[in-house]
Amino acid sequence: MRRMASESRRSQMLRGVLDLCLLAVVVDEPAYGYEMTRRLRERGLSTVGEGSIYPLLGRLEREGLVATHREASDGGPPRKYYSASPSGRRALAEGVRAWRDVRGEVDSVLATIEAEVA
Amino acid sequence: MPDLLAEEMATELDSDLAEAQADGVSATEILGESDPRRFAANWAGERGLVSEPRPPKRRRRIWLWIVVALFLVLFATWLALQAVGSGSATSGPSVEVTPPRRVSVPNVIGMKACRAVRTVAHSGVDDWRVIGHQHGYTCDLVVVGQSPAGHVIRRDGQPVIVRLRLGRS
Repeated sequence: MRRMASESRRSQMLRGVLDLCLLAVVVDEPAYGYEMTRRLRERGLSTVGEGSIYPLLGRLEREGLVATHREASDGGPPRKYYSASPSGRRALAEGVRAWRDVRGEVDSVLATIEAEVA
Repeated sequence: MPDLLAEEMATELDSDLAEAQADGVSATEILGESDPRRFAANWAGERGLVSEPRPPKRRRRIWLWIVVALFLVLFATWLALQAVGSGSATSGPSVEVTPPRRVSVPNVIGMKACRAVRTVAHSGVDDWRVIGHQHGYTCDLVVVGQSPAGHVIRRDGQPVIVRLRLGRS
């Protein structure tokens, strides 16, 4: 029960910043969907929980924060590659600043609390 | 959902899931959902293909406000109609709600009959009678007696009726 609540909280917290994480992994080099998942894993974000990246990629594309193009793949159909657009880069910079502010403020409040694991 | 977008989604997922399977990663980990319907709904919502459903509570609350507003409008209309109705009733010329509590009975003794009757009729008394002349009277008669006598009297719930006795001067 407690574990489910914990996962739900993690999922909710992640939902607010997952778009920034996706932009971060394609800001330097374009990637297709699964490759983005792989890059997230490599940087330590193993599961995205309820917030699958695919719906989010759709929103980022709709809002013009990512540009897409197709590239031929080895033996399969062409793959859809995503890269951060200029407005996506601006959104990423603003989002990272906001995240650091929030993280700092929340840390200030929670710093004195010792986590107790039963 | 447009076919092109559906095809695009299917192709993208197909390729990614095949690659994930080769890496030993489960589909659930990639999709983040174990329920395909929920995944499709999320995907379509983020793409702007469907509007996100409003929470039912909020919808119920909107209906509640509509009902309350309708009730207030009806109540205000009823109040306005009541006010107009009562206004027209009080402004009508023929309705005398309560007669004056005091009435001045004129002293008409010695006055010619016709003039005396006119004077009494316009004085505000409730009624008048000519005593002893059931078949009519002539204007040359004079008032030789009246009841009540000429003075200001207070109504006590009874009509004020003036009786005149005529005679020859």
